Amino acid sequence: MAWLALTVFVIAFFGFILAPILVVVVISFTSAGYAAFPVPGWSLRWFWRIWDYAPFLDAMRTSVLVAVLATVLSCLLAVPAALWLARTRKGWANAVSTFLLSPLSMPMIVIGFSSLFFMTAVGIGISFPALVITHTVVCLPYVLRTVTAVYRSLPPAFEEAAAILGAGPLRTFREVTLPLIRPGIAAGALFSFLTSFDNLPVSFFFGSAQTNTLPVVMLSYIENQFDPSIAALSTLQLGLALICLLVADRVYGIRKMTVAA
Amino acid sequence: MKGLNRRRFLQTGAAGAGLALTGAPGLLRAAEPKVLNVTAYGGVWETSIRDCFVAPFEARTGAKATVSLGAPAQWLAQVEASPEKPPLDVLIMSPDLAITAAQAGLMQDLTVDKVPNLAHIPQEFTDACLGKGTYLDYGVAGITYNKNTVPNPPKSLAEFVERVSAGEFVASVPSISYAITPIMLIWMLAKALGGSAEDVEPFFAAMKKMKNNLVFWAGPNDFFNHLASGEADIGIYFDGRTWNHHDEGADWIDFINPTEGGALTAVAVQIPKNANPLAFDYMNEMLDAENQARFAEIMNYAVTNTEVVYSDKLKPRITPWQQTAFPPYEAIGKARNGWVDRWNREIGR
Repeated sequence: MAWLALTVFVIAFFGFILAPILVVVVISFTSAGYAAFPVPGWSLRWFWRIWDYAPFLDAMRTSVLVAVLATVLSCLLAVPAALWLARTRKGWANAVSTFLLSPLSMPMIVIGFSSLFFMTAVGIGISFPALVITHTVVCLPYVLRTVTAVYRSLPPAFEEAAAILGAGPLRTFREVTLPLIRPGIAAGALFSFLTSFDNLPVSFFFGSAQTNTLPVVMLSYIENQFDPSIAALSTLQLGLALICLLVADRVYGIRKMTVAA
Repeated sequence: MKGLNRRRFLQTGAAGAGLALTGAPGLLRAAEPKVLNVTAYGGVWETSIRDCFVAPFEARTGAKATVSLGAPAQWLAQVEASPEKPPLDVLIMSPDLAITAAQAGLMQDLTVDKVPNLAHIPQEFTDACLGKGTYLDYGVAGITYNKNTVPNPPKSLAEFVERVSAGEFVASVPSISYAITPIMLIWMLAKALGGSAEDVEPFFAAMKKMKNNLVFWAGPNDFFNHLASGEADIGIYFDGRTWNHHDEGADWIDFINPTEGGALTAVAVQIPKNANPLAFDYMNEMLDAENQARFAEIMNYAVTNTEVVYSDKLKPRITPWQQTAFPPYEAIGKARNGWVDRWNREIGR
């Protein structure tokens, strides 16, 4: 009886989570000129609309580029920081860790708004570099957390053994540490990419004819237009996230990565 | 180390890193002379802006205009961050933000010598922006209904309230999460029922009477879905959006401007201080009768130049602004927070 109740609960729970997403996916294949459910007929016209409307494609390219660059920069900054934070016994390490993780506890809209004024004050203004820097600030904590978690779970004996056998710090990092923390980097990079790619509150303040990301264009589009092309775009974004997860699972295994997270 | 201070170091370092990493698609803009940065909402709005205003501007001046997609709050923040060198030259604004921007001293005065077509715009629209902008087009919030389920629709907001309260039909009204609700619902109903921006008691009394027969929409798509699915029969919505749905195939939908006058919801246009002087030429194109007529034809909304001649299809759909209720945006802005607080306590959705 308990088993049956649990099964019903789990099915209801997943139904509750997945139903709204499925509705969006179904609407993206509607033949109607408006978003309504159930759909009167099936068509791929709203996916073609994405190809037809240049700002969608431009914004998609910008979003991917920003997400990739912010993820690379996050990894370059967060991995060394995580290695130091995981092993150091310095009293102020907690303060450094809290500082680096602080974007997680701040409303993104506050980060976006204050970054706009800061970047303008230092002369970068509304530009692609400013957008990438601000996205990096937002993405960095994800890499830091996952890499710190993985590295803390590893005994220092591996690196000590490498050192005793004559490996220098760089070789130890390349041949011992890096392979061991790779699932943590992969998990952090995945979160980082998806966080950046979907981000609206930060990108919103840096939007311009040259730097608009997909969520900003989508928001602007639905201000006055209600066709299902936004549902089609959401379906594509969902597909991209699924592909990222599948690739990560093939390469590292989701189980290892979720342990890291 | 003369000349290398912290600010210059940050500027050079960040810009250099950006160039190296990306090819800097955003940094090259400023180098172009005679480039104007204008704004638009996405979708058909943007393509209409390009066809109706940008193309004639470019043909007349030989300059180029780039179109930035986004939203008024975003553009205002960007101008506020850099008032000495605004990144945008012409802003599309909501009426309340247009007043905020004007009061903050961020916008330029509009005069007929700088923008000759301003002479054909009703003075009320320019006054509504405190002289630092004017209205480009406007919609009317009124009664939209399903002709199949409501063959005899209410003609006034008072009748709407009575018949919804009596349970004759279910109405879909905007929820408080929709930005314009304080104007298109709270103020409009309060005024129609004898109140004002200072006294919205009639609105809350009406909502109490109607509460068993109301559903709430958070965005325009929700409203349409309520009517399309039969969840609601009637509601408070915009004329232009109703006609857009109609033209997209929903021929069962119709709109009535209530006898008390539906709330006028306009799109304002403003030029920031220190903007490119070509902004006045672009603004003149935006206020040109011929250009506005083409814009209205695409958007299904009324435009503001009094010389505009609407097509036969559009003419019966256009509500003259004199037959609408002109919202006192300044007074609404002051009272808005109190209304939202009371809504959350008494209505909650």
